[in-house]
Amino acid sequence: MASPIPVEINHRKEKGVVRVTWEDGHVGEYGCGYLRGYCPCALCQGHGAKIKFVEVPDAKLAEISAVGNYAIQFTWQDGHNTGIYTFDYLKSLCPCPECNRSKDR
Amino acid sequence: MGTVTRDVVLEALKKVQDPELQRDIVSLGMVKNLEVTGGKVAFTVELTTPACPLRERIQEDCQKALVGLNGVTDLQISFGAQVRGSKTGAGQTDLLPSVKNVILVAAGKGGVGKSTVAANLAVALKMHGAATGLLDADIYGPSIPIIMGVKGEPKKIEVNGEFKLEPPTAHNLPVMSIGFFLEPDQAVIWRGPMLGKALHQLMADVHWGDLDYLVVDMPPGTGDVQITFSQQLKVSGALLVATPQDVALADVVRAKSMFDKVMIPIVGIVENMSYFICDGCGKKHEIFSRGGAERAAKRFKIPFLGEIPITSSIREWGDKGVPILVREPQSEISRTFLEIASRLAGQLSVVSEIARRAQSLKIISS
Repeated sequence: MASPIPVEINHRKEKGVVRVTWEDGHVGEYGCGYLRGYCPCALCQGHGAKIKFVEVPDAKLAEISAVGNYAIQFTWQDGHNTGIYTFDYLKSLCPCPECNRSKDR
Repeated sequence: MGTVTRDVVLEALKKVQDPELQRDIVSLGMVKNLEVTGGKVAFTVELTTPACPLRERIQEDCQKALVGLNGVTDLQISFGAQVRGSKTGAGQTDLLPSVKNVILVAAGKGGVGKSTVAANLAVALKMHGAATGLLDADIYGPSIPIIMGVKGEPKKIEVNGEFKLEPPTAHNLPVMSIGFFLEPDQAVIWRGPMLGKALHQLMADVHWGDLDYLVVDMPPGTGDVQITFSQQLKVSGALLVATPQDVALADVVRAKSMFDKVMIPIVGIVENMSYFICDGCGKKHEIFSRGGAERAAKRFKIPFLGEIPITSSIREWGDKGVPILVREPQSEISRTFLEIASRLAGQLSVVSEIARRAQSLKIISS
């Protein structure tokens, strides 16, 4: 039950990044292409067990919305919007050096 | 002697934590009607549920925090309760806007006593003073009409120009069941879409009125009905019921994984039929062994809410349409239900606090 909770999600259009600030003060900057590539939806990921990176060139973000109390939905400019990023998943994707060090990949 | 001001009192109360929500009662907005006149301090602590298990502790902590303050001569703490909503889930529309918390009582398999637990917990929440309703969603084996002793088709009433079903009242609770619409002995032999439609009606077309808690008795398993609930309703959380033996626990694991998939938080697990209290000698017999559900709760980090014994009277009065809590409120089993209801309400307050935090998320574009 102790999922991380984001307090602010800022789409910084010019830099092409999404900056997520978590409740504990942790901040992560996600490149749009990176976020799109790790879209968790079945269209992108198929039904394999392991999450893979699916390159989508020139991914641009159109809209961000909250889903329930547990996830974020990104709508991309090509209309793709089936990816529901749970807070846990979003946190696990955090590309900052600190988080990357503690990951085994 | 210094004079006490509102600010000084509030500052002191910031040291008092709600032990469950793990934040101070001032920033949680629980301190109401604060009046400071001379050395007299009076306020109301608005608990997040009338079934609050921690009332005494909060009262003590408030007293400790204020008694030491310079200039306080008189202290009056009263308690109120305002149940907070905690609904979450992927549901697109909220079919039950007047219901603050929806609790699904579920299990991975049948026969563990979900209906008995659901009915008695609903009665217990009501006894604690919360407005509570009971919805029987067990399409295949609706047993709430028997357990609560109600039958017959609900009346149609007009509410704001729309026809709604009025839930009949049993033991002070509004109750709705698919069983009210079936002839006795008639089975429900429906495929998924029909089930979905019927459930939708049980949710949308029933005039529940303002409720703090709606307890839903789910059908066993991990199928259509569960998915419908998660998609069409905003649910606060699921309460899992298990029996102690290991085979039953395998089903807990399945139920848990289903609720994880549909993003409904599990607010607790209770062990039913934990032990048998012999009506002859009063000895406790652990027929199915004991403690398995607690171990599972630990393993999955789910709050364990308690162990419910089995007695012949719970069966007997269940069959007669009188929940044991109504019939024998002083018995061990009834006290257990009241305690579990209290812990459940506490967990729902925790979930509602998490929901509130998640809902304050700011999404911006710069």
